[in-house]
Amino acid sequence: MTGASSTAPNAANERLANLLAQAGLGDRAAFADLYETTKSKLFAVSLRIVRERHIAEEVLQDSFVNIWNNATKYAVAQSAPMTWMTAIVRNRSLDIVRRPFLEMQDEDDYFATNMVDERPGPEHLLEARRDQVKIERCMKGLDGEQQQTITLAFFQGLSHSEVASHLGKPLGTVKTHIRRGLLKLKGCLET
Amino acid sequence: MKLANPELRSKLAAEYVLGTLRGGARRRFEDHLKLDMDLRAEVAKWETHLMPLADRLAPVEPRGRVWKKIEARIGSSTKADEVRITGGLWESVAFWRNLGLGSSGLAAAMVTMMFVLKPVEQAPMLTAVLAEDDNVARVFVEQPKAGVLMVKMVQPWKTMNGMALELWVVPKDGAPRSLGVINDSGETKLVLARMDEKLAGGMVFAVSKEPPGGSPTGKPTPGMVMCKGAIARMPAKQLQPPI
Repeated sequence: MTGASSTAPNAANERLANLLAQAGLGDRAAFADLYETTKSKLFAVSLRIVRERHIAEEVLQDSFVNIWNNATKYAVAQSAPMTWMTAIVRNRSLDIVRRPFLEMQDEDDYFATNMVDERPGPEHLLEARRDQVKIERCMKGLDGEQQQTITLAFFQGLSHSEVASHLGKPLGTVKTHIRRGLLKLKGCLET
Repeated sequence: MKLANPELRSKLAAEYVLGTLRGGARRRFEDHLKLDMDLRAEVAKWETHLMPLADRLAPVEPRGRVWKKIEARIGSSTKADEVRITGGLWESVAFWRNLGLGSSGLAAAMVTMMFVLKPVEQAPMLTAVLAEDDNVARVFVEQPKAGVLMVKMVQPWKTMNGMALELWVVPKDGAPRSLGVINDSGETKLVLARMDEKLAGGMVFAVSKEPPGGSPTGKPTPGMVMCKGAIARMPAKQLQPPI
Protein backbone atom coordinates (compact mmCIF):
# COMPACT_ATOMS: atom_id res chain seq x y z
CA MET A 1 0.00 0.00 0.00
CA THR A 2 2.80 2.41 0.79
CA GLY A 3 5.72 0.98 -1.10
CA ALA A 4 4.68 2.14 -4.54
CA SER A 5 4.57 5.77 -3.51
CA SER A 6 7.91 5.87 -1.77
CA THR A 7 9.11 8.89 -3.74
CA ALA A 8 5.73 10.41 -4.52
CA PRO A 9 5.10 12.37 -1.30
CA ASN A 10 8.21 14.51 -1.73
CA ALA A 11 7.44 15.26 -5.35
CA ALA A 12 3.84 16.07 -4.42
CA ASN A 13 4.99 18.28 -1.55
CA GLU A 14 7.42 20.09 -3.77
CA ARG A 15 4.72 20.70 -6.34
CA LEU A 16 2.32 22.07 -3.71
CA ALA A 17 5.05 24.27 -2.26
CA ASN A 18 5.73 25.68 -5.73
CA LEU A 19 2.04 26.33 -6.33
CA LEU A 20 1.82 28.12 -2.98
CA ALA A 21 4.83 30.25 -3.85
CA GLN A 22 3.29 31.19 -7.20
CA ALA A 23 -0.04 31.93 -5.56
CA GLY A 24 1.84 34.20 -3.18
CA LEU A 25 2.98 36.18 -6.21
CA GLY A 26 -0.61 36.59 -7.36
CA ASP A 27 -0.69 33.71 -9.85
CA ARG A 28 -4.34 32.72 -10.00
CA ALA A 29 -3.80 29.75 -12.30
CA ALA A 30 -1.37 28.25 -9.78
CA PHE A 31 -3.85 28.93 -7.01
CA ALA A 32 -6.61 27.21 -8.98
CA ASP A 33 -4.31 24.24 -9.45
CA LEU A 34 -3.56 24.21 -5.72
CA TYR A 35 -7.27 24.19 -4.97
CA GLU A 36 -7.98 21.39 -7.44
CA THR A 37 -5.19 19.28 -6.00
CA THR A 38 -6.11 19.66 -2.34
CA LYS A 39 -9.83 20.46 -2.15
CA SER A 40 -11.22 16.98 -1.60
CA LYS A 41 -8.76 16.12 1.17
CA LEU A 42 -9.30 19.42 2.93
CA PHE A 43 -13.05 19.28 2.46
CA ALA A 44 -13.10 15.86 4.14
CA VAL A 45 -11.16 17.30 7.10
CA SER A 46 -13.67 20.09 7.59
CA LEU A 47 -16.76 17.99 6.90
CA ARG A 48 -15.78 15.55 9.62
CA ILE A 49 -15.57 18.38 12.14
CA VAL A 50 -18.48 20.62 11.17
CA ARG A 51 -20.67 17.75 9.88
CA GLU A 52 -22.74 19.82 7.49
CA ARG A 53 -21.85 20.18 3.85
CA HIS A 54 -22.80 23.80 3.47
CA ILE A 55 -20.83 24.78 6.57
CA ALA A 56 -17.82 22.73 5.44
CA GLU A 57 -18.02 24.52 2.10
CA GLU A 58 -18.04 27.85 3.89
CA VAL A 59 -14.97 26.71 5.83
CA LEU A 60 -13.24 25.68 2.61
CA GLN A 61 -14.00 29.05 1.05
CA ASP A 62 -12.76 31.00 4.04
CA SER A 63 -9.68 28.81 4.29
CA PHE A 64 -8.69 29.24 0.66
CA VAL A 65 -9.20 33.00 0.79
CA ASN A 66 -6.94 32.90 3.82
CA ILE A 67 -4.42 30.68 2.01
CA TRP A 68 -4.43 33.10 -0.94
CA ASN A 69 -3.88 36.10 1.31
CA ASN A 70 -1.20 34.38 3.37
CA ALA A 71 0.54 32.29 0.74
CA THR A 72 3.61 34.48 1.04
CA LYS A 73 3.86 33.56 4.71
CA TYR A 74 3.98 29.89 3.85
CA ALA A 75 7.68 30.17 3.06
CA VAL A 76 8.39 30.85 6.70
CA ALA A 77 5.94 28.30 8.04
CA GLN A 78 8.61 25.59 7.76
CA SER A 79 6.11 22.81 7.46
CA ALA A 80 4.88 20.65 4.61
CA PRO A 81 2.32 22.47 2.45
CA MET A 82 -0.44 20.01 3.25
CA THR A 83 0.31 20.34 6.97
CA TRP A 84 0.09 24.11 6.74
CA MET A 85 -3.16 24.06 4.78
CA THR A 86 -4.74 21.33 6.89
CA ALA A 87 -4.01 23.37 10.02
CA ILE A 88 -5.73 26.39 8.46
CA VAL A 89 -8.80 24.34 7.56
CA ARG A 90 -8.94 22.69 10.98
CA ASN A 91 -8.58 25.98 12.81
CA ARG A 92 -11.36 27.53 10.76
CA SER A 93 -13.54 24.46 11.32
CA LEU A 94 -12.97 24.63 15.06
CA ASP A 95 -13.74 28.37 15.01
CA ILE A 96 -17.04 27.61 13.39
CA VAL A 97 -18.11 24.72 15.59
CA ARG A 98 -17.71 26.85 18.65
CA ARG A 99 -20.21 29.37 17.29
CA PRO A 100 -22.87 29.83 19.93
CA PHE A 101 -25.80 29.12 17.61
CA LEU A 102 -24.35 25.75 16.77
CA GLU A 103 -23.51 24.93 20.36
CA MET A 104 -27.04 25.76 21.47
CA GLN A 105 -28.69 23.27 19.14
CA ASP A 106 -30.31 20.28 20.70
CA GLU A 107 -27.61 17.74 20.24
CA ASP A 108 -29.71 14.67 19.51
CA ASP A 109 -31.93 16.40 17.04
CA TYR A 110 -29.04 18.25 15.47
CA PHE A 111 -27.05 15.11 14.96
CA ALA A 112 -30.02 13.17 13.66
CA THR A 113 -30.81 15.70 10.98
CA ASN A 114 -27.42 16.97 9.98
CA MET A 115 -24.83 14.30 10.47
CA VAL A 116 -22.99 13.07 7.45
CA ASP A 117 -22.34 9.38 7.19
CA GLU A 118 -19.84 8.60 9.89
CA ARG A 119 -19.19 5.07 8.74
CA PRO A 120 -16.67 3.78 8.21
CA GLY A 121 -15.22 5.49 11.22
CA PRO A 122 -11.82 7.12 11.17
CA GLU A 123 -10.13 4.05 12.53
CA HIS A 124 -11.21 2.12 9.47
CA LEU A 125 -10.20 4.69 6.92
CA LEU A 126 -6.56 3.87 7.12
CA GLU A 127 -4.91 4.82 3.89
CA ALA A 128 -1.56 5.59 5.35
CA ARG A 129 1.01 6.89 2.94
CA ARG A 130 4.68 6.81 3.47
CA ASP A 131 4.76 10.19 5.20
CA GLN A 132 1.95 9.12 7.48
CA VAL A 133 3.69 5.99 8.65
CA LYS A 134 5.32 7.62 11.64
CA ILE A 135 2.24 9.10 13.27
CA GLU A 136 0.29 5.95 12.54
CA ARG A 137 3.00 3.80 14.09
CA CYS A 138 3.06 6.04 17.15
CA MET A 139 -0.73 6.01 17.41
CA LYS A 140 -0.62 2.25 17.49
CA GLY A 141 1.71 2.49 20.47
CA LEU A 142 -1.03 4.15 22.53
CA ASP A 143 -3.45 2.16 24.59
CA GLY A 144 -6.98 1.77 23.25
CA GLU A 145 -8.58 4.55 25.29
CA GLN A 146 -5.84 7.02 24.46
CA GLN A 147 -6.21 6.25 20.76
CA GLN A 148 -9.97 6.51 20.91
CA THR A 149 -10.06 9.87 22.71
CA ILE A 150 -7.35 11.45 20.57
CA THR A 151 -8.95 10.16 17.38
CA LEU A 152 -12.37 11.53 18.35
CA ALA A 153 -10.90 14.90 19.26
CA PHE A 154 -8.80 15.18 16.13
CA PHE A 155 -11.21 13.99 13.48
CA GLN A 156 -14.49 15.20 14.85
CA GLY A 157 -13.20 18.33 16.52
CA LEU A 158 -14.68 17.34 19.86
CA SER A 159 -13.79 19.16 23.05
CA HIS A 160 -12.86 17.29 26.24
CA SER A 161 -16.42 17.40 27.49
CA GLU A 162 -17.85 16.35 24.14
CA VAL A 163 -15.48 13.38 24.01
CA ALA A 164 -16.56 12.54 27.58
CA SER A 165 -20.25 12.64 26.79
CA HIS A 166 -19.71 10.79 23.52
CA LEU A 167 -17.98 7.94 25.35
CA GLY A 168 -20.04 8.16 28.54
CA LYS A 169 -16.90 8.64 30.59
CA PRO A 170 -16.02 11.15 33.31
CA LEU A 171 -14.44 14.37 32.04
CA GLY A 172 -11.36 13.93 34.23
CA THR A 173 -10.73 10.46 32.85
CA VAL A 174 -10.96 11.70 29.26
CA LYS A 175 -8.60 14.59 29.99
CA THR A 176 -6.12 12.16 31.48
CA HIS A 177 -6.31 9.80 28.49
CA ILE A 178 -5.70 12.67 26.10
CA ARG A 179 -2.91 14.23 28.13
CA ARG A 180 -1.07 10.94 28.60
CA GLY A 181 -1.71 9.91 25.03
CA LEU A 182 -0.22 13.14 23.70
CA LEU A 183 2.82 12.79 25.98
CA LYS A 184 3.37 9.26 24.74
CA LEU A 185 2.95 10.40 21.15
CA LYS A 186 5.47 13.15 21.72
CA GLY A 187 7.99 10.67 23.07
CA CYS A 188 7.45 8.39 20.11
CA LEU A 189 7.36 11.09 17.41
CA GLU A 190 10.44 12.90 18.57
CA THR A 191 12.70 9.90 18.66
CA MET B 1 0.70 35.91 32.12
CA LYS B 2 3.70 34.12 30.80
CA LEU B 3 3.88 30.56 29.71
CA ALA B 4 7.21 29.73 31.26
CA ASN B 5 6.77 26.09 32.09
CA PRO B 6 8.03 24.07 29.10
CA GLU B 7 5.78 21.11 29.90
CA LEU B 8 2.74 23.33 30.06
CA ARG B 9 3.74 25.00 26.81
CA SER B 10 4.04 21.68 25.07
CA LYS B 11 0.77 20.40 26.53
CA LEU B 12 -1.14 23.54 25.51
CA ALA B 13 0.41 23.51 22.02
CA ALA B 14 -0.54 19.85 21.61
CA GLU B 15 -4.11 20.40 22.77
CA TYR B 16 -4.40 23.49 20.61
CA VAL B 17 -3.40 21.50 17.55
CA LEU B 18 -5.50 18.51 18.56
CA GLY B 19 -8.42 20.89 18.97
CA THR B 20 -9.33 20.17 22.58
CA LEU B 21 -8.16 23.59 23.73
CA ARG B 22 -11.38 25.50 23.27
CA GLY B 23 -13.28 28.68 24.00
CA GLY B 24 -11.53 31.40 25.96
CA ALA B 25 -8.47 29.23 26.55
CA ARG B 26 -8.02 28.77 22.79
CA ARG B 27 -8.32 32.49 22.15
CA ARG B 28 -5.89 33.32 24.96
CA PHE B 29 -3.46 30.79 23.58
CA GLU B 30 -3.77 32.40 20.14
CA ASP B 31 -2.95 35.76 21.75
CA HIS B 32 0.20 34.19 23.19
CA LEU B 33 1.07 32.76 19.79
CA LYS B 34 1.15 36.21 18.21
CA LEU B 35 3.92 37.29 20.55
CA ASP B 36 5.82 34.10 21.23
CA MET B 37 7.93 32.73 18.40
CA ASP B 38 9.03 29.68 20.37
CA LEU B 39 5.43 28.81 21.11
CA ARG B 40 4.65 29.08 17.39
CA ALA B 41 7.51 26.67 16.75
CA GLU B 42 6.06 24.28 19.31
CA VAL B 43 2.68 24.49 17.56
CA ALA B 44 4.34 23.94 14.17
CA LYS B 45 6.05 20.85 15.58
CA TRP B 46 2.74 19.42 16.76
CA GLU B 47 1.09 20.29 13.47
CA THR B 48 3.80 18.41 11.65
CA HIS B 49 3.23 15.49 13.99
CA LEU B 50 -0.55 15.35 13.97
CA MET B 51 -1.77 16.73 10.63
CA PRO B 52 -0.69 13.63 8.68
CA LEU B 53 -3.42 11.80 10.58
CA ALA B 54 -5.85 13.61 8.29
CA ASP B 55 -4.62 11.42 5.50
CA ARG B 56 -6.77 8.65 6.93
CA LEU B 57 -9.86 10.42 5.68
CA ALA B 58 -11.34 9.43 2.36
CA PRO B 59 -11.47 12.50 0.09
CA VAL B 60 -14.85 14.17 -0.35
CA GLU B 61 -15.57 16.42 -3.33
CA PRO B 62 -16.90 19.87 -2.53
CA ARG B 63 -19.40 21.33 -4.96
CA GLY B 64 -18.17 23.41 -7.88
CA ARG B 65 -19.74 26.58 -6.54
CA VAL B 66 -17.17 26.68 -3.72
CA TRP B 67 -14.40 27.55 -6.14
CA LYS B 68 -16.57 30.16 -7.85
CA LYS B 69 -17.10 31.86 -4.52
CA ILE B 70 -13.40 31.69 -3.68
CA GLU B 71 -12.58 33.21 -7.05
CA ALA B 72 -15.04 36.01 -6.48
CA ARG B 73 -13.54 36.71 -3.08
CA ILE B 74 -9.92 36.79 -4.16
CA GLY B 75 -10.74 39.39 -6.72
CA SER B 76 -10.29 37.99 -10.16
CA SER B 77 -11.16 35.25 -12.53
CA THR B 78 -9.24 33.13 -14.96
CA LYS B 79 -12.09 33.59 -17.39
CA ALA B 80 -11.37 37.25 -17.28
CA ASP B 81 -13.44 38.36 -20.22
CA GLU B 82 -16.58 36.64 -19.12
CA VAL B 83 -16.60 37.58 -15.50
CA ARG B 84 -16.31 41.19 -14.67
CA ILE B 85 -14.93 41.89 -11.28
CA THR B 86 -16.25 44.94 -9.56
CA GLY B 87 -14.07 47.82 -8.53
CA GLY B 88 -12.71 48.20 -5.06
CA LEU B 89 -11.77 44.58 -4.95
CA TRP B 90 -8.07 45.17 -4.97
CA GLU B 91 -8.36 47.39 -1.98
CA SER B 92 -10.45 44.80 -0.27
CA VAL B 93 -7.84 42.13 -0.90
CA ALA B 94 -5.48 44.28 1.13
CA PHE B 95 -8.31 44.82 3.55
CA TRP B 96 -8.87 41.09 3.99
CA ARG B 97 -5.20 40.49 4.40
CA ASN B 98 -5.26 42.65 7.48
CA LEU B 99 -8.27 40.95 8.93
CA GLY B 100 -8.49 37.63 10.63
CA LEU B 101 -10.60 34.82 9.35
CA GLY B 102 -13.30 35.81 11.76
CA SER B 103 -14.11 38.76 9.59
CA SER B 104 -14.58 36.79 6.42
CA GLY B 105 -18.33 37.00 6.77
CA LEU B 106 -18.01 40.75 6.66
CA ALA B 107 -15.76 40.49 3.63
CA ALA B 108 -18.27 38.22 1.94
CA ALA B 109 -20.97 40.78 2.64
CA MET B 110 -18.79 43.44 1.05
CA VAL B 111 -18.33 41.36 -2.07
CA THR B 112 -22.06 40.78 -2.30
CA MET B 113 -22.62 44.47 -1.95
CA MET B 114 -20.04 45.32 -4.59
CA PHE B 115 -21.40 42.83 -7.05
CA VAL B 116 -24.77 44.52 -7.18
CA LEU B 117 -23.14 47.71 -8.35
CA LYS B 118 -23.60 47.88 -12.06
CA PRO B 119 -20.35 48.09 -14.00
CA VAL B 120 -19.97 51.08 -16.27
CA GLU B 121 -19.73 49.81 -19.80
CA GLN B 122 -17.93 52.62 -21.56
CA ALA B 123 -14.43 53.87 -20.98
CA PRO B 124 -11.99 55.72 -23.16
CA MET B 125 -9.22 53.66 -24.69
CA LEU B 126 -5.82 54.68 -23.52
CA THR B 127 -2.17 53.73 -23.68
CA ALA B 128 0.98 54.49 -21.75
CA VAL B 129 4.65 53.61 -21.92
CA LEU B 130 6.20 53.37 -18.50
CA ALA B 131 9.88 54.19 -18.34
CA GLU B 132 12.54 54.44 -15.70
CA ASP B 133 14.15 57.77 -14.90
CA ASP B 134 16.84 57.09 -17.51
CA ASN B 135 14.11 56.60 -20.13
CA VAL B 136 14.45 52.82 -20.38
CA ALA B 137 10.96 51.67 -21.36
CA ARG B 138 9.86 48.83 -19.15
CA VAL B 139 6.12 48.45 -19.29
CA PHE B 140 3.45 49.09 -21.90
CA VAL B 141 -0.15 49.57 -20.76
CA GLU B 142 -3.15 49.58 -23.05
CA GLN B 143 -6.88 49.60 -22.52
CA PRO B 144 -8.38 47.61 -25.40
CA LYS B 145 -11.90 47.93 -24.06
CA ALA B 146 -13.84 49.02 -21.04
CA GLY B 147 -12.83 47.30 -17.86
CA VAL B 148 -9.72 45.64 -19.28
CA LEU B 149 -6.11 46.71 -19.08
CA MET B 150 -3.39 44.84 -20.92
CA VAL B 151 -0.02 45.23 -19.28
CA LYS B 152 3.03 44.11 -21.21
CA MET B 153 6.47 43.82 -19.71
CA VAL B 154 8.63 45.27 -22.48
CA GLN B 155 11.86 44.80 -20.62
CA PRO B 156 11.63 42.73 -17.44
CA TRP B 157 13.87 43.42 -14.49
CA LYS B 158 16.61 40.84 -14.24
CA THR B 159 16.13 40.11 -10.57
CA MET B 160 12.96 40.41 -8.58
CA ASN B 161 14.28 38.92 -5.33
CA GLY B 162 10.86 37.57 -4.50
CA MET B 163 9.24 40.97 -4.89
CA ALA B 164 6.02 41.56 -6.82
CA LEU B 165 5.15 44.35 -9.25
CA GLU B 166 2.08 46.44 -8.60
CA LEU B 167 0.45 48.78 -11.11
CA TRP B 168 -0.91 52.13 -9.95
CA VAL B 169 -2.87 54.89 -11.53
CA VAL B 170 -1.99 58.33 -10.23
CA PRO B 171 -4.72 60.97 -10.52
CA LYS B 172 -3.96 64.63 -11.02
CA ASP B 173 -4.57 65.25 -7.40
CA GLY B 174 -5.03 62.50 -4.91
CA ALA B 175 -3.46 59.27 -3.84
CA PRO B 176 -2.32 56.55 -6.28
CA ARG B 177 -4.91 53.83 -6.76
CA SER B 178 -3.84 50.23 -7.03
CA LEU B 179 -4.84 48.35 -10.16
CA GLY B 180 -3.36 45.10 -8.95
CA VAL B 181 -0.26 42.97 -9.04
CA ILE B 182 1.16 42.31 -12.50
CA ASN B 183 3.41 39.56 -13.83
CA ASP B 184 7.12 40.37 -13.88
CA SER B 185 7.38 39.10 -17.44
CA GLY B 186 5.08 38.65 -20.41
CA GLU B 187 1.58 40.03 -20.35
CA THR B 188 -0.97 40.55 -17.63
CA LYS B 189 -4.62 41.12 -18.31
CA LEU B 190 -6.22 43.13 -15.55
CA VAL B 191 -9.98 43.00 -15.46
CA LEU B 192 -11.74 45.36 -13.12
CA ALA B 193 -15.28 46.54 -13.54
CA ARG B 194 -15.73 50.17 -12.60
CA MET B 195 -12.19 50.44 -13.86
CA ASP B 196 -12.98 53.68 -15.61
CA GLU B 197 -13.97 55.11 -12.24
CA LYS B 198 -10.53 54.12 -11.00
CA LEU B 199 -8.90 55.55 -14.08
CA ALA B 200 -10.96 58.75 -13.98
CA GLY B 201 -8.65 61.72 -13.68
CA GLY B 202 -5.63 59.45 -13.91
CA MET B 203 -2.63 61.19 -15.41
CA VAL B 204 0.12 58.65 -14.91
CA PHE B 205 0.60 54.91 -14.55
CA ALA B 206 3.34 53.73 -12.21
CA VAL B 207 4.76 50.34 -11.28
CA SER B 208 6.28 49.71 -7.88
CA LYS B 209 8.14 46.75 -6.41
CA GLU B 210 6.23 45.45 -3.44
CA PRO B 211 6.18 42.45 -1.15
CA PRO B 212 4.52 39.42 -2.75
CA GLY B 213 0.80 39.99 -2.96
CA GLY B 214 1.14 43.74 -3.24
CA SER B 215 1.75 46.74 -1.04
CA PRO B 216 0.66 46.05 2.52
CA THR B 217 -0.18 49.71 3.04
CA GLY B 218 -2.39 50.17 -0.01
CA LYS B 219 0.01 52.81 -1.27
CA PRO B 220 3.19 52.44 -3.29
CA THR B 221 6.10 51.77 -0.96
CA PRO B 222 8.22 54.94 -0.87
CA GLY B 223 11.34 54.64 -2.97
CA MET B 224 10.09 51.52 -4.74
CA VAL B 225 8.39 53.13 -7.74
CA MET B 226 10.35 51.61 -10.61
CA CYS B 227 8.86 53.26 -13.67
CA LYS B 228 6.06 55.55 -14.70
CA GLY B 229 4.51 57.06 -17.80
CA ALA B 230 1.87 59.57 -18.84
CA ILE B 231 -1.49 58.23 -19.91
CA ALA B 232 -2.46 59.01 -23.52
CA ARG B 233 -6.21 58.89 -24.08
CA MET B 234 -7.49 58.16 -27.54
CA PRO B 235 -9.83 60.65 -29.23
CA ALA B 236 -13.46 60.21 -28.29
CA LYS B 237 -14.56 59.39 -31.86
CA GLN B 238 -12.96 55.97 -31.51
CA LEU B 239 -15.37 55.07 -28.74
CA GLN B 240 -18.12 52.69 -29.57
CA PRO B 241 -21.59 54.12 -28.99
CA PRO B 242 -23.43 52.93 -25.90
CA ILE B 243 -25.75 50.01 -26.53
